[in-house]
Amino acid sequence: MSKILTGNELLSGAAVYLDGHGRWIEELQSARVFGADEGGALEAAVGASKATGRIVSVETEDVEMRGGAIYPLRVRERIRAEGPSAPRVGRQHLAEDEHVSI
Amino acid sequence: MYRYDEFDAAFVSERVQQFSDQVRRRIAGELTEDQFRPLRLMNGLYLQLHAYMLRIAIPYGTLAARQLRMLAHVARTYDRGYGHFTTRQNMQFHWPKLRDVPAILADLASVEMHSIQTSGNCVRNVTVDQFAGAAADEIIDPRPVAEIIRQWSSLHPEFIYLPRKFKIAMTGAPNDRAAVKFHDIGLMAQTNGSGEVGWAVYVGGGLGRTPMVAKLINGFVPHEHLLAYLEAILRVYNRYGRRDNKFKARIKILVHEEGLENIKGQVEEEFAQMRGGILTLPEEELERINAYFALPAYEDHGVVNIDIGREKILDPAYGRFLENNTFPHARQGYTSITVSLKPIGGVPGDITADQMDAVAELAEAYSFSEIRVTHEQNVVLPHVALTDLRAVYDGLVEAGLADGNVGEITDMITCPGLDYCALANARSIPIAQDIAHRFAAPERSREIGKLKIKISGCINACGHHHVGHIGILGVEKKGTELYQITVGGDGTEDAAVGRILGPGFVAADVPDAIEKLVDAYIEKRESPDETFIAAYRRLGDAPFKEALYGNG
Repeated sequence: MSKILTGNELLSGAAVYLDGHGRWIEELQSARVFGADEGGALEAAVGASKATGRIVSVETEDVEMRGGAIYPLRVRERIRAEGPSAPRVGRQHLAEDEHVSI
Repeated sequence: MYRYDEFDAAFVSERVQQFSDQVRRRIAGELTEDQFRPLRLMNGLYLQLHAYMLRIAIPYGTLAARQLRMLAHVARTYDRGYGHFTTRQNMQFHWPKLRDVPAILADLASVEMHSIQTSGNCVRNVTVDQFAGAAADEIIDPRPVAEIIRQWSSLHPEFIYLPRKFKIAMTGAPNDRAAVKFHDIGLMAQTNGSGEVGWAVYVGGGLGRTPMVAKLINGFVPHEHLLAYLEAILRVYNRYGRRDNKFKARIKILVHEEGLENIKGQVEEEFAQMRGGILTLPEEELERINAYFALPAYEDHGVVNIDIGREKILDPAYGRFLENNTFPHARQGYTSITVSLKPIGGVPGDITADQMDAVAELAEAYSFSEIRVTHEQNVVLPHVALTDLRAVYDGLVEAGLADGNVGEITDMITCPGLDYCALANARSIPIAQDIAHRFAAPERSREIGKLKIKISGCINACGHHHVGHIGILGVEKKGTELYQITVGGDGTEDAAVGRILGPGFVAADVPDAIEKLVDAYIEKRESPDETFIAAYRRLGDAPFKEALYGNG
């Protein structure tokens, strides 16, 4: 099963994803997708992220690629990526000093 | 209203300073998240799906206009311009940033509010009947005693780490509008043979995974011994509550597993030792607290007749408002107005900063600056002169708050669900919106009459689905949201837990399912005066099961 790494940024609480450059970013579609054979890299990324002290509730989430897009299997993750659905009030955004990298 | 004395003020201000320093240390990296998490939760700061959420206590659901104005200020300055009222008479802000929280708490402290004990395994905000101190059917205003319980339970050294959270609800009236039988402890005012007022104590009620109706543990505890009695219950619970299993840790499980008689025996034993001791309420202290809740300076308006029938013809929306949103007041010439936070298609319980200011202004002009918050996620102007009704209504129209649907099918309790909550399994808000749109026509709502729909997005039941006349519980099954429907729940003095009638529905099919239940009720009711819940009690599950699932 493919996985992504997600969490919430400490200062804003915003839902964020780890991308391929080690940056924690807002866009699910720019997240790094870890293949089933990348368990070691995933584990290292979890460790490095926790070590920043700036990403809270670090979790891995199961995803599939659907039509070239990342599709989280849990409804919860799909809503987390989009923000509240009714009405769509938009997600929490990172301010300038709220960007974190590992 | 109660005003902080120097002890209250010092206590809250000290906590703000402590938490400010804790936030500073967390941001500086001096505290880990594992160290910080319990500290932020002790101050009502949760991390949800999209952001932090700050939960602010509104003790016994009573707000002064200046406090509501401060909540508006917080919404505007630090959040996204709105707040959300919950079933625990709290307000939640869903978008604060961590750095701002100390400033928010300082602002709240300046109007005698805080977030202490809105999370954690401690005694939470004491909730009461929203019409307390105003209702025509009331034996006694429960708020002075609620305030005393608040003081007793705030940072009570013995009860800060209970096996699980602990919720107390009170009503001073025989008609229970506070769902007291679904709380860890429910208190109902009683008069004994000598005409003295005291409290019937119910214990072990609750919703969640294992819904239970509370059991009567003592039919009459006098005022002066109430704290000792509550302490006796908490002490027995603290000693024997199931700390080994989170799902079995509430007092309802202890009472259920050990049996009421066993628990009662132990409580009475503790009570016998404490009775007459340090927890006995001194008469003068009770009087001192009572004075804060003195009746407002009502004016004599003489006999005011309002012809609802006539108003319904002249201005149907106003007529409907009069019919549904007013509640009989103890004082002649006055009424309590419920302000609906359930506009068709809106988010139940949400209120914008501008609307908060508008309600505060109306309260200052027409309700002695007092506002109440209901567990059904509406607000109340408790003391409005009948001569001012139209002016208040016009003010509410201007604020977009004049929906006349209180108690009707579109006045639903709805938890934030998976749109916000980290614990939820399914969304609640869009379900409520779809149902509201389906039943939006006032004539249709009136035809259906009083009907309570309650929606939760997970088994924790913050949306009280178990006690909805129709309850809706969202679950996740194989990556989609599914909704179980229950019928026959009741949160009042006739407490009952709703029953599941069959398999769940996907979201798109929920409004149809509700309509089938409603149609079955209308077809089978004896007269329009027989409410949905009364008809259910007479008819049982069968016709409703058939309506949903056919004859098979």
